[in-house]
Amino acid sequence: MKPMVVTEDLRYTYEDGTEALRGITVKIKRGEKVAVMGANGSGKSTFFHHLNGLLKPTAGRVLIEGEPVDYSRKGLLKVRKKVGFVFQNPDDQLFSASVRQEISFGALNLGLSEEEAVRRVEGIMEALNITPFAHKPVHLLSGGQKKQVAIADILVMEPELIILDEPTAALDSRHTRIIDGIVDSLRDRGITVLLSTHSSERALLWADRIIVFDRGLVAAEGAPEEIFSDHELLKRANLEKPAVLRIFEILEREGVLKEGLKRPRGVDELEAYIKERNR
Amino acid sequence: MIMIDKLAYSSPWRYKSVYMKSALASGNLLICVAVRSFTVSIITLAVMGYLTVRYSQASLSRYVRMMMWPFAFLIMGTIAVLFDISARPDGILNIPLGGSFAVITSYSLVYALRLILVSLASVACLYFLVLTTPVPELTGLLKRLHCPWLIIELMTMIYRFIFVLLDSALTITKAQRCRLGNRDFRTSVRSMGTMLAALLVQSLHRASLLYDAMESRCFDGKILLISESRGGEKGDAAAVALYLALMLAIGVACWKKGGL
Repeated sequence: MKPMVVTEDLRYTYEDGTEALRGITVKIKRGEKVAVMGANGSGKSTFFHHLNGLLKPTAGRVLIEGEPVDYSRKGLLKVRKKVGFVFQNPDDQLFSASVRQEISFGALNLGLSEEEAVRRVEGIMEALNITPFAHKPVHLLSGGQKKQVAIADILVMEPELIILDEPTAALDSRHTRIIDGIVDSLRDRGITVLLSTHSSERALLWADRIIVFDRGLVAAEGAPEEIFSDHELLKRANLEKPAVLRIFEILEREGVLKEGLKRPRGVDELEAYIKERNR
Repeated sequence: MIMIDKLAYSSPWRYKSVYMKSALASGNLLICVAVRSFTVSIITLAVMGYLTVRYSQASLSRYVRMMMWPFAFLIMGTIAVLFDISARPDGILNIPLGGSFAVITSYSLVYALRLILVSLASVACLYFLVLTTPVPELTGLLKRLHCPWLIIELMTMIYRFIFVLLDSALTITKAQRCRLGNRDFRTSVRSMGTMLAALLVQSLHRASLLYDAMESRCFDGKILLISESRGGEKGDAAAVALYLALMLAIGVACWKKGGL
């Protein structure tokens, strides 16, 4: 099967001369869950904008399902049907005061009939738990609720790849859980997910693979366990090692846990190790 | 503005058909303006006032205060109508102006009073509509009436961005106040200026981001949205039709009697 997305030596320089991307070559497989990490200004958002055809590379190219992106109007529509992009700030994305109308926009742009669009909108609102506040105007929704609507905006178009730019930034813990739950459910829908996050814990728990950006280059990519055990890399890219791994290492070093255990992805796995030992 | 919006969303009549509400308001408005009669205007004021206070979240005192808003314009308008320039002092009130007189005649007095009443009644019709109907419903109605899509799109975006930009403006103002940006009149004015400048830059930036976001959802030059307006209940429609017919009949009768 052809990979969902491939970028080849992708470079992008903004008008003011900032080299945001300096040669990004990555491959994202179909059905994969990939977290992109890196400091602010390391090029994550610029990279995402390229996958949706919002930016045209200065050099290099983007291939969606093996086909190079065609930057004509028609070609871009084709790319955007496959690749959905959720903006970081919902206020930059939501343009209608009515939740239903807002979500219907993308669906109707696909050329669906109004009945089909209404059916999809209602379905997605039910699935993402938006229905209870769908009667409210967008300007009276909370930040988390707006985020839910922003994701529904894209999911209603049934994309094959969904890109989320820091989906839980600025959310309280309850809404972070809600959004995380939605992201977790995307795999069941058969959607490839690419998201950026600053939460090491979350990336370790959720991602199949992590791509680390550093000043416009890919500093490393690999399974979360590998990435988070590379101390030199963590230091260079300013990443935090997840607490659960630090505790695991301490327990291992102090002889509480036997050597050679697989590194835990989350607190639950670590707890299982400790329970196992005490039995 | 914000208050009207909140009231409209919390109105018990929010889910009544927008067709019915707009037919009632605009029908009554047209009759009012067409026949320009004292009786019709007073009935309209009473009926619309009652419906608005009863079926929107606006209290009576708030409603009365809202009715005062157009008064400044009304006074300006009626002064011009009220006074006539005449060579002889033949009015009820005569104010000498050099060689001639500014006079109020009984005719111009009645005319001015009628103008005020008709205007207030018209405003009452509009208040009824805007206080019971959220804006997206109205844009939906305009769409059904085949209003040019450009106007509808602009309405949709402007309405949404009033709140986004207002929010930014308030945030900036608060941030300025935290740093004593309103210490005295001079600083207040300067703060206001910088706030507006920042807001302009922000809105341009926001507009470009929003356009990107729409592009990424396959936007192709025309904003397509599902319409949300529901059809009305037959009973309501009949009541509206009956009321309008009655008003029309009264209107025509009054009109024949010379606009009583």
